[in-house]
Amino acid sequence: MDRIREIIGRHDAQWFDIIELQGESIPISFKNSRIHSINSRESRGYGIRVNVKGRTGFSYTNDIEGFDDMVTRAVSLAGYGEDENFTPPEYSVSGPLFEPYSDSIVTFDISKEMEKGHSVINTILKKFPAASIDLDISRSTGRMRLINSSGADISYKNSYYTYSASVTIISDDSVKLDVWEGSSSLEPESFDYLPDMLIKKIESARIIKKTGSGRIPLLLPPKAAASMLGILTGGLNGKSVFKGTSPFTGKLGEKFFNEAVTIHDSPLLPGSPYSYPFDDEGVKAYDKVLIEKGVITQFVTDLKYAGKMGIPPTGNGSRGYADLPSPSFSNRVMAGGDRPFAEMIKGISLGIMAEQFIGLGQSNTLTGDFSAGLDLAYLIENGEITGRVKDSMITDNLFRLFSGDLVLSSERERRGSVTVPWILFPAVNYTG
Amino acid sequence: MKKFDNIRPHPGKIISSLKCDYAEIRFSSGAGTSILFSGKTVDSVKSGGSSGGSVRVLKNGAWGFVSFNDISVMESSARRCLEMASMIHAGPGERSAIKPAGPLTGSYSDTMAEDFTSIPFDEKFSLIRGYNELLNSSSLIQTTSAMYRDVKSSYYYFNSEGSELKYDKCYCGVSLSSVARDGSVIQPFHNSVSGHGGFEIARNRGEMAQDIARMATDLLKAESLPGGRYSVIVNQKLAGVFIHEAFGHLSEADGIHENDDMKKIMVLGRRFGPDNLNVIDDGTLAGLSGFIPFDDNGVLPGKTYLIGNGLLSGRLHSRETAGKMGEEPTGNARAISAMSTPIVRMTNTYIENGVNTRKDLFDSMDSGIYALDYIGGQTNLEMFTFTSGYGYGIKNGKKGKLYRDIVLSGNVFNTLMNISMLADDRAMFGGLGGCGKGGQSPLPVSFGGPHMLINDVLIGGSQ
Repeated sequence: MDRIREIIGRHDAQWFDIIELQGESIPISFKNSRIHSINSRESRGYGIRVNVKGRTGFSYTNDIEGFDDMVTRAVSLAGYGEDENFTPPEYSVSGPLFEPYSDSIVTFDISKEMEKGHSVINTILKKFPAASIDLDISRSTGRMRLINSSGADISYKNSYYTYSASVTIISDDSVKLDVWEGSSSLEPESFDYLPDMLIKKIESARIIKKTGSGRIPLLLPPKAAASMLGILTGGLNGKSVFKGTSPFTGKLGEKFFNEAVTIHDSPLLPGSPYSYPFDDEGVKAYDKVLIEKGVITQFVTDLKYAGKMGIPPTGNGSRGYADLPSPSFSNRVMAGGDRPFAEMIKGISLGIMAEQFIGLGQSNTLTGDFSAGLDLAYLIENGEITGRVKDSMITDNLFRLFSGDLVLSSERERRGSVTVPWILFPAVNYTG
Repeated sequence: MKKFDNIRPHPGKIISSLKCDYAEIRFSSGAGTSILFSGKTVDSVKSGGSSGGSVRVLKNGAWGFVSFNDISVMESSARRCLEMASMIHAGPGERSAIKPAGPLTGSYSDTMAEDFTSIPFDEKFSLIRGYNELLNSSSLIQTTSAMYRDVKSSYYYFNSEGSELKYDKCYCGVSLSSVARDGSVIQPFHNSVSGHGGFEIARNRGEMAQDIARMATDLLKAESLPGGRYSVIVNQKLAGVFIHEAFGHLSEADGIHENDDMKKIMVLGRRFGPDNLNVIDDGTLAGLSGFIPFDDNGVLPGKTYLIGNGLLSGRLHSRETAGKMGEEPTGNARAISAMSTPIVRMTNTYIENGVNTRKDLFDSMDSGIYALDYIGGQTNLEMFTFTSGYGYGIKNGKKGKLYRDIVLSGNVFNTLMNISMLADDRAMFGGLGGCGKGGQSPLPVSFGGPHMLINDVLIGGSQ
């Protein structure tokens, strides 16, 4: 520490910060319906920002022996960096520290997890002997530490347990059906429910249905709704707001969406591996409402874009050790509605329920336009799922959809870093 | 950047001490520079280095894999890896195996016409700043992104068959984009170039930057195409992305080797396209983004015909998939870094030229779409969806109205059969992005093809 101060001191530096990230993980991999490998990964890395005369240089290394070189490189690059008018925050932990960590992560046992995996595969194979099943189970733990010239020396630990299963069935006419499910948490979980859920989804998709092109009700279960919400909220990122590529630039306080749309950024969400007590720049994390009853209320930002926009940082600076921070969401949490989803399905006389897309988010998403192939989608007729629709697309504008009529379920699920209800749009453009 | 030429204990010694069926040790050390401009200003500058490696062990038909970034733990990692593989008790039908290959030794290096490690930082900075100014050349440009990146690394490969390989890699490129805006219409446009070589790859890209700025602004005025089924002429870049995404991934044997249904579909000799369709993957093409001197299983790359004269004639293998299928390895086991597991990947993948001229294709078309370049794409093996960068309506062979956001979708097998004409103007494309698979992204690849005419393509849009 003193050595860094000494090197940096020689160069008239305004400020610096250093991030240290370390982690280890044990992924267990089943491929083609059998155990394939047990893996172990370890990594550690350091990144340093140094601000000299207002400009920031950055360097990184994953080799502690290269530490001094890294500091010198960062200093030498500072003259070329962007003019940045902020200083890193002071931060001190008062009271117990919130950590996205569970002590139960240590109960992860390779043999036990392999048994859990085998059991899922065997149950599905009993029903569909020709299915090909890939299954990944992984446990990881890590620690982040941040030191800065404002006196902060803070750290927290994290734990992460995740599983995902993907079942592929190819029928004689080369029709491919691929169904996947997964979840993430802070500690080992049971996934006994997986086989039944996957089997049900496969059975519902065995009959191929067709319906005509046109505007049609679209029901999104949480998995699909989460991927839509990911695109929708992209424009709430302070960087794209500042750059003027967000449709929400200059729209703070304006009503953009349907009243039912309320979305929070919740870094302190319990049980989520995407939570954190402070961001990767040492700014204290807090819950914030991004969209309230359809009104744009706040953007997320890191120190740099907070400085540029003249607003307080929101604790959303995110980075790996080899990258400079940029604004990013923690957990996005969408408010639910008051209808049970089962009732929502019952109310649809003719519609589509889309589970998995192909190519969603690959078009010009800045304007909210999207066009996606339907990887796995079902036809709903008279309130019942009657089969699978394929070789078809949905094409529409997300901003139009979320500002028009929509129905949200009372049930919600966390899918990765996004918590969402079921969403029903009454009329979406469908090409079959 | 660290040098490991005299590392002790010798990795070959570590490997020979492991009681297993097969083992490999890989490690690397690299250093690089990147400069990013965004909008009117510099966004970030960085330079850094990283090193790391991994051990992979096959014992009794099961794999263990251990990665690390501290090279000094190599020996203990190897022992741990063996322990992990030993925890798996694979049944007779559940075993992995690899195709044996003779020991391979050699030392390879990329050549740089202009060594980027001796170019002053100032010069790199000025070059990319210049491109960024060109990207900003219209008042309708809302923001830009101009990135320069170079990386030099040394990679070492050892396996239990006695292979000892070294590769000094030099990779350089630029990635440029402009975002135009007019009211609520926001239109990005992007292009990138990269390859194995030196600073020469980054030079003389001013014209590319100008084209990007012009296309982004022109597209502001373009309309979306009504949805429906169209005859489509795709340009070389879109043809390349199509064959990479829609067919290349299907040819990767790790999706076939233990799947009886896929084996039934991917039968060698089965017709996949018209007689004049030839699809090739070739990792030996020096300079291109997907070039490799040897793959991450210690196998030399080759020129593999995936489709020959319209018939399925080969597939991409690692030693593991080749072993299982009783075929020969093709040199397509690739990992994104020495710390990742090798999996079956493409290298430089392309559709070979046909005999028609580009003009023939247009002359034959009464009504249809000319789709160019791409924004993104995804496939689930049977179905694909691509967004082309832009396109034009065609009436009686003449280019008409400009369209934006053309999203093509279809069934891979039908679409390949629907290729009706191939021009003779193949071109190859790389870029600082790359291919993603199994959480390993972006892996440098290149792709290409000639202009081609495809009938009956589904395009998403309003009715």
